[in-house]
Amino acid sequence: MSENINYWTLFKNGIFGENPVFRLALSLCPAVAVTSGVKNGFLMGVAVLFVMTMTNVTVSLLRNFISPKVRIPSYVFITATWVTVIDQVMAAYQRAVYKEMGLYIMLIVAFAIILSRAEMFASKNKLLPSFIDGVGMGMGFLLALVLLGVFREFLGKGSLWGFHILPGKPLLIMIMPTGGFFAMGLMMGWLNWIDRKFFGGTGGGGGGHH
Amino acid sequence: MKDMLKITLSLVAIFVVAGLIMGLTYRYTYPVRFQAEKKEKDEALKEMAPDATDPIKVAGNWSADNKPYEYYEATAGGKPVAYIASTAGKGYSSFIKMLVSFSPDLRIRDVKILGHEETPGLGDQVEDKSFLDQFKGKSLDQIKLVKVETKENIQAVSGATYSSRGVTKGVKDAAQLLIDKYGAGIKSAMREVTK
Repeated sequence: MSENINYWTLFKNGIFGENPVFRLALSLCPAVAVTSGVKNGFLMGVAVLFVMTMTNVTVSLLRNFISPKVRIPSYVFITATWVTVIDQVMAAYQRAVYKEMGLYIMLIVAFAIILSRAEMFASKNKLLPSFIDGVGMGMGFLLALVLLGVFREFLGKGSLWGFHILPGKPLLIMIMPTGGFFAMGLMMGWLNWIDRKFFGGTGGGGGGHH
Repeated sequence: MKDMLKITLSLVAIFVVAGLIMGLTYRYTYPVRFQAEKKEKDEALKEMAPDATDPIKVAGNWSADNKPYEYYEATAGGKPVAYIASTAGKGYSSFIKMLVSFSPDLRIRDVKILGHEETPGLGDQVEDKSFLDQFKGKSLDQIKLVKVETKENIQAVSGATYSSRGVTKGVKDAAQLLIDKYGAGIKSAMREVTK
């Protein structure tokens, strides 16, 4: 990348151009697992946003120090460190949130999207762009999870964020893992269609890393 | 050779620094966490027996399926108002941890779920008041899970049969324990009354 990076473009890239879930198709496993409700999706998204940003920043700072031959273990260890720190700080000071999220936090260590951004972006870029990329990608992941959560919880349970809106459960299958795959496929298809129809994009192109 | 040394050093340096960061975080967050967890446990116990005026005491340890639990006595002015037992039952994907409180005549007063890792959206419905309230006032022989509407027994939540079974099993174990421990005393007390 050139020296004159447009930060706004970089930020938007994580949300639209290379949305981790809908475009890069990375970390689909947690995206299906936690989005049976809006709240879970949102909390997971926030945790990922934080770990993502911190990992990107650390990797970027250490990029000349990390030996290229052992870069992957180094990245994973950096991620694991931040995840552990967040887990412990939250367990001590944010009990209510920790009770909701504790299950998911440790899983973030193995998220493909975080390793992928460390490898593809932060290890080659300076601090500020890496920070923006982390925030953008994290926001993209967060939005994708909330979108999936809204879709699945509304159809599966007739509620949003735990508040009942529809009587009964219109389509119980949507909150099962099976429904997660349906929702993911439909959502990806719609977004590609919108992209082609209104924004002249080519649509699709999963894994489109530079 | 020189390369190898460099790689090793860079890895070791990262691991040592990361280890230090994690260790320090643990060192400073653990006491706060420990206090918070203890406070939460006390509050949960207090909630199970709001009419207890004396501090709730641990009365003993017990175990089911090789898992250790405790039971407690809640008293008001020296007289027992409730017996509480911590317990758990295996649901669909985890052990559902609970506190169960019993009135002195060994009927269930309240069931509180402390933690579980059941499927969000399905299994976690056993936390709903409508399911847990079914236990109130029931005695040991009434704690039976059925799949139809019932007033006598416990009706399973549809879509969460395994989790419902876990809760019911945990409550039943606790009820059995407390009857074993305190049942005799109550029977003799009742006999005294009828005399």
